[in-house]
Amino acid sequence: MSIRDSLPEPPVEEGVATKAAPPRTPVLALDRVGVFYQRRRRAPLWALEEISLRLYKGETLGVIGRNGAGKSTLLRLLAGIIRPDRGRYVNCGYRATLLSLQVGFVGHLSGRENIILGGLLLGLHLRDIRERMDDIIAFAELGDFIDEPIDTYSSGMKARLGFSAAFHVDPDILLIDEVLGVGDAGFVEKSKAVMQDRIRSDRTVVLVSHSASVVGSLCDRAVWIDKGRSVAEGATAEVLGEYQKSLEKLPARA
Amino acid sequence: MFRIFPSSWKSFKRYVVLALYETFADLRAESRRTYVGYLWWIIDPIASMFVYYLIFEVIFDRGIENFAVFLFVGLIPWRWLQTSLIGGANSILHARGVMLQVYLPKAIFPSVTFLTNTAKFLSIFVLLVVLLAVLGFPVGAPHLALPALLAVHGLFIAGCTLVASALTPFFPDLRMVLENLVRLWFFLSGIFYSVSDLSPRLEGWFRLNPMATVIESYREVVMYGRWPDLPALAAVAVVAVCLNLVGLGILGRFDYVYPRLSP
Repeated sequence: MSIRDSLPEPPVEEGVATKAAPPRTPVLALDRVGVFYQRRRRAPLWALEEISLRLYKGETLGVIGRNGAGKSTLLRLLAGIIRPDRGRYVNCGYRATLLSLQVGFVGHLSGRENIILGGLLLGLHLRDIRERMDDIIAFAELGDFIDEPIDTYSSGMKARLGFSAAFHVDPDILLIDEVLGVGDAGFVEKSKAVMQDRIRSDRTVVLVSHSASVVGSLCDRAVWIDKGRSVAEGATAEVLGEYQKSLEKLPARA
Repeated sequence: MFRIFPSSWKSFKRYVVLALYETFADLRAESRRTYVGYLWWIIDPIASMFVYYLIFEVIFDRGIENFAVFLFVGLIPWRWLQTSLIGGANSILHARGVMLQVYLPKAIFPSVTFLTNTAKFLSIFVLLVVLLAVLGFPVGAPHLALPALLAVHGLFIAGCTLVASALTPFFPDLRMVLENLVRLWFFLSGIFYSVSDLSPRLEGWFRLNPMATVIESYREVVMYGRWPDLPALAAVAVVAVCLNLVGLGILGRFDYVYPRLSP
């Protein structure tokens, strides 16, 4: 079942259909989706009230919103970690993976063992990990330390390993939560650069950020979410314009 | 609806590899935390055996022949259950960090607990069987029942571990209850006494406990060279299969709910 059959086209697109844009393949869509969290001995908390968005193949979609708007919950939903409590979520068979740094890392294990562990967790097969092992180690610039337990690493070394392992997973849909570059000074630049290259390439990416400049410089389209609702979706410049306007209306914080 | 197994064979295979690698990682990390590492898998059960030996033989003087061996053969299979069950009850709660970063079928977490404890159990159990043979305990055809006995016992433990892991995230208080229940279960399982020495009325009730059957079966085989009570073991196997289905059923039903429960 394709998204085109299952969801009504939003009216905005019908209006601009005459512009003869190249046909775009949707990879996933949310239609008025809501998610709540159970809280012990308290009423459930609706982290997402009503979110609608579409993600097309090869685009970079920016999700912008203030803290507490529901961005992390939205990413979990897109990553297939949780399911919506209301509304519709359609994924056309693509694997969406969060760029998770150091996920599942075990301190007493070597860098190499942690690369395998992290790769398996993030959805790679053992064979893929072996193929990429040399690239991962080279990119992390760890040299002989790769066979030492990561407990002996500095935090910068661990960050380099975590980034390199996660970056080389390269899923169908890459989900990024704020962080673009990590590690010590030199590595921040390097990791940021490869990340931006990947985002600008024809990969399908969802980039969540509260920074309008980051979304503005990297994304093809944007969605603005506020208090668990999608307020606007469309061309980056337009959505960011509305977002900025709403920020100006806010009372100055003490 | 209930979904017990992952949708495709390919992803199932990947999850099996992941569980095995996690198990290897757990074992290796644990061994590196101490100076003698893997040796603790042997030392630790022996040390706990001596504690009970001191209490029940030296202080209470139970008068069971070969009491140290009797105790050890009961205690090692028991520890396999206890460590898996308690570890399993915590497994999904402890995996919260991973669970919020990436989708995994939740049965992976208790499975890793079970596999880790199984590896430790097998290393001491093999040693024990060899040691008893060397010491002159009878070795014969009944030893052929050991693989089946281990399989039934393992299946039972896996079932308990899955059910415990599936329920504790919803009721964290269960973990406190569980610790005391497990202690009670320990005293009811015929580890430092023989269930057949009880009064006939009590014995009937005690035999409803699968662990009593299992522990007695181990003794029959490795100490006395006799065949275990196979029909009783078959009954344990049926219970074990049911526990596994219930555990996997709950874990599958709430697969997407566990990451959302408050810690």
